[in-house]
Amino acid sequence: MARPPPNPLYILRGSGDVVNTLHFCCDGQGPSLLYSGSGKGAIHVWNLTTRRPECVLESHSGNSVIWLQALKESSTLISQGRDMRMCVWDLSEGRGAVTDSLLTGSVGFCQCSLLETRSGSTLLAHPTENMEEVSVVEMKSWTQVCTLKPHLKLGMLMCMKMWQAESGPVLCAGYEDGSVILWDVSHRRPFSCLKAHTEPVMCLDVDVCRQKGVSGSSDNILHSWTINDQRNLQMHSSVQLTNPGVSSARVRADGKILATAGWDNNIRVFGWKKLKALAVLQHHTDMVNSVAFSDHQDPPQRLLAAGSKDQRITVWSIYSES
Amino acid sequence: MLELFAIQSTVTLDANMESAGSKVPMRLQAGSCLRTLSTSRDPREIANSLSTLTSFLENAEFTRLHYTHALQVLVSARSCQWFRSLSDDDEVGRPWHEFVFTGPPDQTLLVLLDTISSTEECAGLDRCVSVLEKFLSVGRLEALLWSRCVVGGVCSDSSQLTETVIGHLAALPSITSNRLHTKTPDAFLPQQYYPLLATNILCTLEKTCQALRGGQDCSLGFVAQVLGKVCIQGHSSFIFAALVPRLSSLTRTDPLWQRVMQKLLEKIPERCMESVITGLILNLRGAAVVSRLMGNLVVTNKKAQFVLTHKLVLQQYQHPTQLLKSLLGYLALNAERRPLLKQVLRSVCQVWCNSSAIKHTCVEQQLYVSKALMLCVALLNHSEIEELREEMLQCMLGGVQCRLDSNIERIRRMGMVVGECLSQRLDVPGSQLKFKYEPDEEIRELKSLMESLSTKDSEEFEPEHQSDESRRLQPESETSLTQSVTSQSGRDSDSELDSDDDLTPYDMSADQEKKKSVPPRYVRDCLEALMSSNDAERVELSLHAAESLLRRKGKATQEVSVQFSKVLLHLDDRYNTEGFQVLRQNAMVALTVTDTKPVVEYLTTEFYSLNYSLRQRLDILEVLALSAQELSAPITNKHTGTQPIAAVAAQDQSDDITHWRQIVEKRIQSKTRCISKGATQMVQAVPNRYAPVAGSFIFPLLRNYDRSQVTFDLLGTDHLVLGRLLHTLGLLMHLAINAPVASQMGRALLDFVWSVRFHTDQMVRRGVMFAVCAVFLSMPSDNLLTDLGDDLMETRTWLADVAENDCDTDCRSLAVQGLILLDKNLKTQLQLPDVET
Repeated sequence: MARPPPNPLYILRGSGDVVNTLHFCCDGQGPSLLYSGSGKGAIHVWNLTTRRPECVLESHSGNSVIWLQALKESSTLISQGRDMRMCVWDLSEGRGAVTDSLLTGSVGFCQCSLLETRSGSTLLAHPTENMEEVSVVEMKSWTQVCTLKPHLKLGMLMCMKMWQAESGPVLCAGYEDGSVILWDVSHRRPFSCLKAHTEPVMCLDVDVCRQKGVSGSSDNILHSWTINDQRNLQMHSSVQLTNPGVSSARVRADGKILATAGWDNNIRVFGWKKLKALAVLQHHTDMVNSVAFSDHQDPPQRLLAAGSKDQRITVWSIYSES
Repeated sequence: MLELFAIQSTVTLDANMESAGSKVPMRLQAGSCLRTLSTSRDPREIANSLSTLTSFLENAEFTRLHYTHALQVLVSARSCQWFRSLSDDDEVGRPWHEFVFTGPPDQTLLVLLDTISSTEECAGLDRCVSVLEKFLSVGRLEALLWSRCVVGGVCSDSSQLTETVIGHLAALPSITSNRLHTKTPDAFLPQQYYPLLATNILCTLEKTCQALRGGQDCSLGFVAQVLGKVCIQGHSSFIFAALVPRLSSLTRTDPLWQRVMQKLLEKIPERCMESVITGLILNLRGAAVVSRLMGNLVVTNKKAQFVLTHKLVLQQYQHPTQLLKSLLGYLALNAERRPLLKQVLRSVCQVWCNSSAIKHTCVEQQLYVSKALMLCVALLNHSEIEELREEMLQCMLGGVQCRLDSNIERIRRMGMVVGECLSQRLDVPGSQLKFKYEPDEEIRELKSLMESLSTKDSEEFEPEHQSDESRRLQPESETSLTQSVTSQSGRDSDSELDSDDDLTPYDMSADQEKKKSVPPRYVRDCLEALMSSNDAERVELSLHAAESLLRRKGKATQEVSVQFSKVLLHLDDRYNTEGFQVLRQNAMVALTVTDTKPVVEYLTTEFYSLNYSLRQRLDILEVLALSAQELSAPITNKHTGTQPIAAVAAQDQSDDITHWRQIVEKRIQSKTRCISKGATQMVQAVPNRYAPVAGSFIFPLLRNYDRSQVTFDLLGTDHLVLGRLLHTLGLLMHLAINAPVASQMGRALLDFVWSVRFHTDQMVRRGVMFAVCAVFLSMPSDNLLTDLGDDLMETRTWLADVAENDCDTDCRSLAVQGLILLDKNLKTQLQLPDVET
């Protein structure tokens, strides 16, 4: 008899609305923090030691916050809202003010992706008012580096992830018709295209160390694919889900497990190597919008957080013993 | 017989004395020797006379005429001292043995057996027995058999004598054990004697073969007669178990042996033919051996033909399938015999499609005939099938139809399989039969008959051959095994690098598909969903929720119980819901139990009304039976469901150790003298919910059975429902045991049963028997006897008749049960007044 699935470590209540996105910031300096963005434009900064919100930032004029990311160095937070704006927050020393903002013009749900290059510049990929297009900008000056638009009709841009490869920045994007395209950002051309799903790609994540990614869609199949030396996307393995719909997928930094947020209110955990189903975490009473793994330095402390439409955030500790 | 024979020989002795003067000295000498032997006590004298007699054994006349007499005298000298102390090696013993064991073996055997059977128990008898044992062990039987084989040998014997010898040979175990009872030596027991006889027969046949090679004629008549006699006495299995292995290997290489065997079988007397052939074929494996041993016997011998083509196939059914395989394969092996195969097929076809045969023969026989049919068809070649196509088609269509009509699943399935296989063999393009059924062991066997039929021997009698083969096979399989192991381990290590095995999964049983709608929370919601919803998921959820909902909300259920029953009864499985029948049935049972009176009234009326399918009527019966069962559970422990009353009572007793009532009762019992037979254990009476309403279950069902309608003809074609109805009534009756209404119920049920007791369908008869047994079990015995009254004897004879003659095993056993129950009732009833007075 297999052991029963674990209960959440704790539950964070009081976000006041649908939780859309989560971001951990636990890199040592200061207390471990979890940022959450709600459907009413509130950004909660949760202290994971006290399990209470440190502060609540009202933003995006009450529009839904769909993406949050903290910069590594300074205590700067970037948020993306449904008001077609990106905001840059200065949170140092208890401040909570918007220092900068950018009008992206995008009305969709596609989340941005941030890349801090070694040279010190920070690149941000964001969707634009042109639904199929990605625009990459340099954060300091908001100068546009490039725009990437597929030649074929692939429909709306759904999700993306950008990272630094040896040859330069690389961006992986999922589209409405189920295709995943690997872009060479410096040369503005696609490396390869993979038709992974028959339904729109809802989320993707890439494990940069292992050159391997995963994509979820609104159907009930989860695909993982690899990027070979010629920068071609190749299908690796797939797993059938009991209920369709994946809104978020994240690979843990150690490359051992993968967590997905399901439309069926469940969080699923898979082994990352072969997508072997490991656990189904049931707690939420409405669809789960987002999952995130904490970036604790110490592996046993690594947490899994999930934010759901039922306004709650659950925090789990799973497969954290080494 | 021997008496007569002895007289005969003395008479000839006298006649000889007068006619042939030259023989006088021998005869006189013999006479004087015998006199000496019966009177003398001097060992030297006795030894002398014995050796003189032995020297006469060369003399044909002595052996023919005087030997028996001499032997009789010798054996009758058993009272003498020397006979008792006879040992093998002393000076008397040696000539005595020589005399006995070199003389004509047939006469020796007769004298010995006669002496044994006519002697009282004494030392002489023991001596005789040991002589006979020795007689068997030194191979005199072979000498006996061989002496009769040689043409021109002792063939001048009267047929009467021959008969006697054969009789004694075949019945040696019986003759000896009649006298010796438990002291019979092992060598005379059938288990040992008949195999010995078989080896002797084999040796004789071997000699015959050698003689034939030497150009000498032999006669096998005697051996054949012995074989026949043994088989007809029922010892064929011993004989052939010993004979067959050798014979099959000998005939494999030597055509002379084949001819000898075939001649031998031809010479078997007609009345023994059946038992010999059956015994032989039962012990043979494979058609080729049968063919080698029997040759074309089936063509030349009428009796053999009848046995092989008719009796073994159509009249008997206890044989294993192997027999059918060997037999039919044998018929198919030779062009001369193939017409017989066709003839067999025709007659099997006729029997198979005969509807009255299906009704009046037992299932086992039908299976046997089906097997024969399949085997026949498998053996036919293409042109023969073309020739017989019409008949086979007729047979198939008729037979399958009759079988599908049957109420017994085994028969239906048999029909389906045979139909499928036949149509496949007939190969009518586009019109092959195809049925859906669950294959079981029996079906698989039937089907396999069609596929793998080789006429080759599957002989297991060649140990060298087989072990050789197995030896050759073994290392191969071993290596392949190790290979596969290594390759597997190799693959394992490969995959280990890239597997998630280090993470053990959690229990994921809770991971189920999400339902869009929620299960109904109120009885009326549930009813409404079932009645009108087009949403598959909602209907399914309602069905799942129905039972618990109905049971939990008793008040609400009572308001809509009849309507709910109506909806459930008419509910179709539109969405292919898993476990639909069970869910629906459980819900209906819940309804019946919660609001018994109106629902039962509704169901019982609907059972006989128009426009219901058979399935729905059967559902009604099932629901009634299950509800009655649930209601009849004792009220005190509601939650454990149905449990036998006795068990519940026992549990109560063990649970409450300090129950005051028990203690008091125990004290009372210990102080009271009970005047009754044995200690009757008091079972605590507990009320149940069924007894008050039992009548309303059963009487409406008995009301309208003979009113035939357009859509429902209970006493006619719908005998399936009738069978189930009777069974259900029996159940309802049995559950009403101890209820006050039981006697009326029993009376009504017996009346009903009486009218259908000779139904042609087995299922119905089973139902009848079950109902009758239930009545006998549940009705108080005094009421039973007064009610049965005049019909009592008739019931008894009817039951006895069924128990003896019915073709269905279940019917027979149920009838026996019924008889036992009736007799038990009778006995208690008749004994009761005795005890009271």
